[in-house]
Order: sequence, then structure tokens, then C-alpha cells
Amino acid sequence: MSDSAHSPATAGYVAEESKFAAYVQIAMLLAVITGVEIAVIGLPFATWLLVTVLVVLSVVKFMFVIFYFMHLRWDKLFCTILFFIGLILAGGTMWALLKLFGAEASVPLSVAVNTVADLSRLV
Amino acid sequence: MTSHAANGAIDHHHDHTTSTGIPNKKLLMWAFLASDCMFFGTLISTHLIYRLHPPPGNPVPRQIFDIPLTSFSTFILLMSSLMMALAVNAIQKGNLKSMRFSLLATIVCGAIFLGCQVFEFNNFVFEKHMTITNSILGTTFFTLTGTHGTHVAIGVLWLGLMYVRSFKPATGGQPWTTTLLHVVALVAAVLLSMKVVLSVIWALEAHGLSGATLGGVVGAQWLAIVGTVIAIGAERWFARPAGPVQFDQSNAIDVESMGLYWHFVDIVWIVIFTAVYLLEYL
Amino acid sequence: MEATAKSHFTGKEEHAPAKPSFAFWRPTAKTGLMSWLTTVDHKKIGFLYGSFALFFFLVGGCEALLIRLQLIVPNNTLLTAPQYNTMFTMHGTTMIFLAVMPLGAAFFNFIMPLQIGARDVAFPRLNAFSLWTFVAGAIILNVGWFLPDGAPDAGWFGYAPLTSKLYNPTHATDFWILGLQLLGVASIAAALNFIVTIINLRAPGMTMMRLPVFTWMTLITSFLIILSFPAITIALVEVMFDRQFGTNFFEVSNGGMPILWQHLFWIFGHPEVYILILPAMGIVSEILPTFARKPLFGYPIVVFSGASIGFLGFTVWSHHMFTTGMGTVATAAFSLATMTIAVPTGVKIFNWIGTLWGGHLKMRTPMMFALGFIWMFMIGGFSGVMHSAAPADAQQQDSYFVVAHFHYVLIGGSIFALLGGIHYWFPLMFGRRVSEFWGKLSFWVIFIGFNVTFFPMHFLGLNGMPRRTFTYDGNMGWNVGNMIATIGALILGTGIAIYFAVIIYTYLKGEKAGRDTWDARTLEWSVPTNPPPEYNFAVIPTVHARDAFWYEKHHQSEIEQEKAAQHQAEAAHGGIHMPFQSIYPLVASIGALIGAFGAIYHNLIVALIGGSLLFIGIYLWSLEGAEGYHLHPDEDGHDDAPAPKH
Repeated sequence: MSDSAHSPATAGYVAEESKFAAYVQIAMLLAVITGVEIAVIGLPFATWLLVTVLVVLSVVKFMFVIFYFMHLRWDKLFCTILFFIGLILAGGTMWALLKLFGAEASVPLSVAVNTVADLSRLV
Repeated sequence: MTSHAANGAIDHHHDHTTSTGIPNKKLLMWAFLASDCMFFGTLISTHLIYRLHPPPGNPVPRQIFDIPLTSFSTFILLMSSLMMALAVNAIQKGNLKSMRFSLLATIVCGAIFLGCQVFEFNNFVFEKHMTITNSILGTTFFTLTGTHGTHVAIGVLWLGLMYVRSFKPATGGQPWTTTLLHVVALVAAVLLSMKVVLSVIWALEAHGLSGATLGGVVGAQWLAIVGTVIAIGAERWFARPAGPVQFDQSNAIDVESMGLYWHFVDIVWIVIFTAVYLLEYL
Repeated sequence: MEATAKSHFTGKEEHAPAKPSFAFWRPTAKTGLMSWLTTVDHKKIGFLYGSFALFFFLVGGCEALLIRLQLIVPNNTLLTAPQYNTMFTMHGTTMIFLAVMPLGAAFFNFIMPLQIGARDVAFPRLNAFSLWTFVAGAIILNVGWFLPDGAPDAGWFGYAPLTSKLYNPTHATDFWILGLQLLGVASIAAALNFIVTIINLRAPGMTMMRLPVFTWMTLITSFLIILSFPAITIALVEVMFDRQFGTNFFEVSNGGMPILWQHLFWIFGHPEVYILILPAMGIVSEILPTFARKPLFGYPIVVFSGASIGFLGFTVWSHHMFTTGMGTVATAAFSLATMTIAVPTGVKIFNWIGTLWGGHLKMRTPMMFALGFIWMFMIGGFSGVMHSAAPADAQQQDSYFVVAHFHYVLIGGSIFALLGGIHYWFPLMFGRRVSEFWGKLSFWVIFIGFNVTFFPMHFLGLNGMPRRTFTYDGNMGWNVGNMIATIGALILGTGIAIYFAVIIYTYLKGEKAGRDTWDARTLEWSVPTNPPPEYNFAVIPTVHARDAFWYEKHHQSEIEQEKAAQHQAEAAHGGIHMPFQSIYPLVASIGALIGAFGAIYHNLIVALIGGSLLFIGIYLWSLEGAEGYHLHPDEDGHDDAPAPKH
């Protein structure tokens, strides 16, 4: 048990042997992407472009971790579906909340409104 | 019926006793993680909502955050994910020594991440004067990152318990005191070494790099330093080779489930790092 | 046959175990208090959920009667305003979280594993943990009655800033917060368990599209639970932090927005009401085919509609907030989404009618409840769709029209189905059947009392009577409506009393019921004895079609041969694997209870003690392992003596 002698792999699990190298490579890739993200925020481009780049890079990291480190790529599809149900619902709820609070009607009032007279002081 | 392939190796990805072939524990963990997406999604939403129209007097994140520090801790957490994947990989092949090393490495990385968070929180509260109560940014920031940090801490504890469990003898059992002391030694080693390292960093920050500073820290923290050495020594003693253990490929599902939790904590941080830290700089 | 043997996947082989230390003693009592405290049997756990639920149903009913007695005449002085606030808060919280949900859980637990041909749920100890944590949550919610702080009184929906320390300084609100947190943990753990069970523990041949509709609804409800409860968990954490640590989540003076509470609460709260109704729809979908002597009409559509309702339920939460000034776009969007939900709901109603159409109807008591459900739930649905039009809702919001709507769907819908389910499955669970006369009498008194109570409320609401107000003036034109509603409530109370008396009598002395009392269609009725043996099935069934038991009854020789072969295979694999009982789920729940008290009273020592006990319970639970013991019944279900192995 203490050395790296491994049990004979069955056909189809030869891929197990090379996982070590794959994991290290992916980790390096993730580190590089993180570095790129940090560099990106200093670049003099339009905000919308930088936000898009950051989001895309984060999504790429996210997907690598779930499909490789968390093994979804080789597991039954149902595990992926199950997780994505939660993920998409959470993302959708977040999007809806941000749209709700970003709406004109939801902007906090600039002055306290306690009396009718106060209303007239609202811009 | 067993999940053993013809030559006796365990098939780690197919459980014949379930309707789908997915092991029950794995399915449970993935369902839990789907739920945890909504959990963190709600918390992150709260933070982002309060960033839409910050009230006057709210601290400005750009003036508070320390991107180099947070980048470092992000990198550490990514490395911990790598170590975790390697640990699972090792135990699936029955390589106990490699698994134990990788688990310890994951624990160390997790502890470093937590140490960085302690440092960061300290800095924000005492030097930047942002507390959890004195502003809305403080409230949402500390609650969100604190909750994530709590998840990391629970993960580190779980990793430590799994690590100690891998030493249970195959026959004869083990007195519960031995198990307890091994856990205590591991926890003490992690906490005390964190204390020492943080003290060093704070001292360097306050007084600059010099022999006198380091001497001062050693003087002030000698008890913790001694404690760390004793704890690490004790842990190594408990971890000495001592015959066959009741931990092998058949336990891989438990390590894998724990790994799924740990990786999830990492991907939540990927989202937090971008949405809470980086986006503020645009 | 593979599913029957213990999973070697986890490698928990029965190697010669070390002598167990005291911590890993296996409780083996099969009778008495210890057998209940350490049970991991889904049937016993279901019975416990049901017992607690029925108890709290009565508590909630008393709270309702006090409300109605206070409102019987204008300017009444039976309850003070603060007492009234406590009454409607506790009535709502109790009925939703301590009555309807656990009654649903009782059926999920007892019936679902039997319907899929399994011996238990995937994680029996986790199941026990859910039960005891539910009890802990119930204790926390109700402990205020016995303490000077009083019971929670800020509404079952706890709007900020009313729940802030400033407006609610006593611990009453903290009881509500921590009670709901414990209940949330219990619900999520149970739902995770049910999802894994339904997906992974189905008998051979039981494909997803052969599942009984009740099991489908269990699955969808479980998804709703695990995806919606996190939102209220976070909301409760935020309000607790505001109260305990002075954070600013809902503190306006420091940038907080109370409206955020409403959003987060209803992101949970709306799926919650589908959590309350989907199991009821599942029960109705089992009762109607049995008593119409016909298979369910349009099974795939019924299943798909249930899933659609579940999904769409996450997109409509702000229809509880139409009057909060969200803006035109938001209001219109949620209004449209709410109307959309009516579609799959209506589809189900048509399918139930299609099931009845051309059937040979047997008007037994469960059928009465199911038919009552269809009609009453439709009425509730109509008033709901009226709410979905935001302009109309501007008048209806916070009025008795809303009260009428949700009581029609919750009593006329959920409660009718659950009460009918109790009658329907009573012979299976207890081996006795309820007398038709008394059962039908209780149904009619309940039906009449319910309608007399709540129908007038539609008019009271449209005539402007506000909710949650402890009294009203005599010249508003509401006197007659309220008087009628209260009389109706007393009739309803009488009906419930009759129902309970009948059930208790039947449990103790009722007419014995043989196997398959109703000539039903689904696997839970195929067990050899009522109540089922501890291991459920002597032989795991092989499923050939939807309505698996109906197929079995009409292909008897084929099934007999199959069972004989299966019995041999199972015996060759070591017999039936049963899980050991365990004390640790209870220990962990007690730890959670103590920890919650620590959190309520802001006492770190108590919180740490509770947390440590919770941790120790879970740790020992994981160390004791999932080994079990084996039974060897013969094909007809006669046991040889079980030999628990240590």
C-alpha cells in the first residue's frame, strides 16, 4: 500500500494512469488564467469589454474545475445535469435580483421622505 | 453484483447496486452542491445588490482591497484543489502514502488561505477601519467572505479527520484516545503554525525586515513556536508506519465525496474573486 | 438482484471487526422508547413525522379558532392586539412548517420507498437525523409560549424592519429565526435523501416513467426544497446578524434595504407553497385511479406538468410584492409568469377529470377527499389567477381575499389530500380500515365547515377588510361576513374533531383490513402483511409496467416464477441486508437544539457546547459505519430469527 504499485487497470481505465499529469497541467493553466485576470483589470479598455473578459475567464476556470477536478467529464451525465440545475437557477435568480434592484424604481431615495413636504424635495 | 471488475480492481465510477450506476454518496454530494449554489448565489446577490447604489459614506473597495494578497490566496486555493484531485487519484489506485501526502498538502494550502483571510480581515478592520457593522460594504463583504471561509475551515477539519482515519489499524482497533490525540496534534500544528507565521508577517509589516524584528517575534511567540514543533513532532509520531491499516481503495468514495466539497469551495471563490474583488477595479 | 445485496462498493466488508468500543454499541431494541429513538426504519420515521404533524395541526387549529373567536364580532376583546399578532404568526408558521410539511414528509417516508420497490431510503441514519432535527425546530418555535419573551409575533413571513432588534427586542423573533433554520436543515437533509433514493434505489424494471405519480411529486418537491431553502437560510442569517451583531443588511440608516428581505423570503416562499401542494397532487393522482378503477389519464403529461409547476415556481416570487413599487417592467414580468403557472396546473385538473371520465367510481372516503380537492383547489386557483393581474392585486393585497385564496388551496387542496391520504393508506400502515360512515361524516362536516368559513372571506376582502388586524369597527359592513366565517370555523373544528376521534378509534379498535384493501395499482400494496414487515419486500419485485402491482395481479404465474428465482438469488447473496439502528442522529439533533439556544441567547458557551455535541454525533455516526445485519425470510415473508452481528 505504501508504494505506487497500482492495481491492474481494466480496459477503459488506462486514462487513470495519466490523470496525474493532466491535473497538474490544468492547475498550471488555472494559475495562468488567474494571472491574466489580474493583469486585465489594469488595461485601458472599455469597462464592458473588460467585464466580459473577466467573466469569460472565470467561467473557463469554473468549467475546468468542475469537469476535470470534479470528474464530471467522465461521470454519468445525470451528475452534470443535477449540478447545472442548481447553477443555472442560482445564476438566473441573481440576474433577476440585479435587474430588479437596478431598475429606476428601486434606486434608493436621495433624501428621507417622512412628510408630504419632503416629497417635493425629491428631484 | 459487486463493483469489482473481473480482475478484482474496484470500479470507482460505476456502482452496480444503484439504478443509475452512480454511487449514492456521490449523488448525494452533487445534489447538496446544487443546493449550495443557491446558498452562495443568494449571498453573492446580496453583496452585488448593495454595490449597485452605494450610500454616501460607504467605504470604497478600491481603497480597501489588497489585490496582491488576495491573488496570492486565490492561487493557493487553486493549488489546494490540485492537491485534492491528486489525493483522490492516489487512493483510487490504492496508493495510501501518496494520498496522505496530498491530503496534508491540501490541508496546508487551506490553512494558508485561511491565514491570509485572517490577515486581510485584520487589516480591513484595524487599519482601513471597515467593520462588519459600520458600513453596508463591511456587512456584506465580511458576511460573504466569512461564510466562504467557514466553509473552507469545515473542509480543512474534514480533511484532517479523513487523514487521521487513514491510520486506523486493520486489526485490533485503536484506543479512541490515540485517535483523539492524533487529531489534536494535527489541529494544533495547523493553528499554532498559522499563529507564528501571522505574527512574523505582522511584525515585519510593522517594523520592517530586520534581525531585531524577527528576534522580537521569536521572543513574543516562543510558546507558540515550541507548541508548533511539539505538535508537528507528535503528529509525525502518530503517523509513523505501524502495520496494515483499514483504509484502501474501497474508501476512495469517501475521499472523492470530500473532494467534491473542497473543489466546490474553490469554484465559489473563483466567482467571489472576480465579482467582489476584480470587478471593483474597472 | 444486484440491488438487493449490500453494496460492496463502499468496501464495508464484514471482515472480523475489532471489538467495538462503547461508542459503537448497536442499539437492538425492537420495542419500547429506545426502539423509537434509535430507529432508522423509514416506516417508523414516517409514523413519527405524521404523529408530530397531526399534533401540531391541532395546535395550529386552536390558534385559528382563537383568531376567529376574536373576530366574531366587531371591537372584540378576547385577544389584545399583541396576542392577536402572536396568534396569526404562530397559526401560519405552525400550519406550514409543523403540520402540512411534516405530514407530507410522513407520506414521503412511509410510502415512497415501498412504491419504488426499495427496502428503505438511501441514507437511513440521515433520515432519522432529519426527523429529530425537525422535532428540535418545533421545540424552538414553540418554546416561547412558556417563556416571558412570548412566542414569535412578527408574522410567518417576518418582514424587516419589524424583525429588527429595535422593533422586536424580545427573544420571540430569535425563536422564530432559529426554529426555521433547524427546520430548514431537517428539510434539506430529508430532500437530499429522497432524491438519491428515488434516482438510485428503484427496483429492477422501475424506469422513471413507470414511477407512481406520488413518487414523482416526492422527487420534484425534494428538488424544490433543496433549491429554495438556501434563500431563506441566507435571509435568516442576515436578519440574525442584524439582531445579534448589529450588521446593516436591513438597517436603513446605514445603507440597508428592508425590501431585500421581502425578495429573499419570497424567493423561498413561493416555491414553498408548491412544496405544500405538489405532494397533495401526488396523493390525489394515486387515489383517483384506484377508486375510478382506471389508470391515470395522461400520465406523462401529469408528470411533466408537475415538473413545469416546480420550475415555474421559481420565477414568480415578486407577485407577493406587486404593491411595493418595483416598477412597471418587473411588475408586468412577474404578472405574466404567474399567469403562466396556471397552465400546467389546469392541465393536471383536466387529466384528473379524464381519469374519472368513464370510470367505475367507488365513492369511498378517500375518493370524497380527492374529489373535494379537485373542486376546492380549482376555486383557490381561480382566486389565485385573479391575484396574478397586478392592477386587481393592488386592491386585493393584504385583504381577506388573499386569506380566502390561500386557505382554499391549502385546506381545500393540501389538507383535503393529506386527510384523504391518511384514510387511503390507513389499512396499509395499521392493518385497519376506517368505517365508511364515520369517515364520510367527518368529510362532510369538514367540507361544509371549511366552505362556510372561507367563502365569505372573498367578499370581506373585496369589500376592503384588511388582514392581520386584531379587530374592526362595527360600521364597515363586515359584521355578517365575520360572524358567518367564525361559525364556519367552529363547524370545521367539529369536523376535524370527528376526523381525529375516528382515526384514533380506528387505530385502536378498528375493523381489521386484509392485504390490498382497495384492489390498488401500486407496489406499496403488494407487501405480504399490513403493516409491512420491517424489510418491506420478502423479494425485491421486478417491474414490468406502470402501475406495477396491477400488472403483478394480472400476470400471476409469470410473477410467481420470477419471485421464486429472485428469492433464490437473494438468499445466495446472503439474504436481506438491514441497517443497524443508531443513537447518533438523535445525539446530533440534540446538539443542534442546544446550539440553537446558544445562538438565540447570544451565549457563546452554550452555542459551543451544542456545536461540539453536533460535531461528536456526526463524527461517531461516520465512524460507526454502515454495516448492517441479515435476515432470511422465506418467499412468503416468514422470518427466521434475525441474527444481529456486531
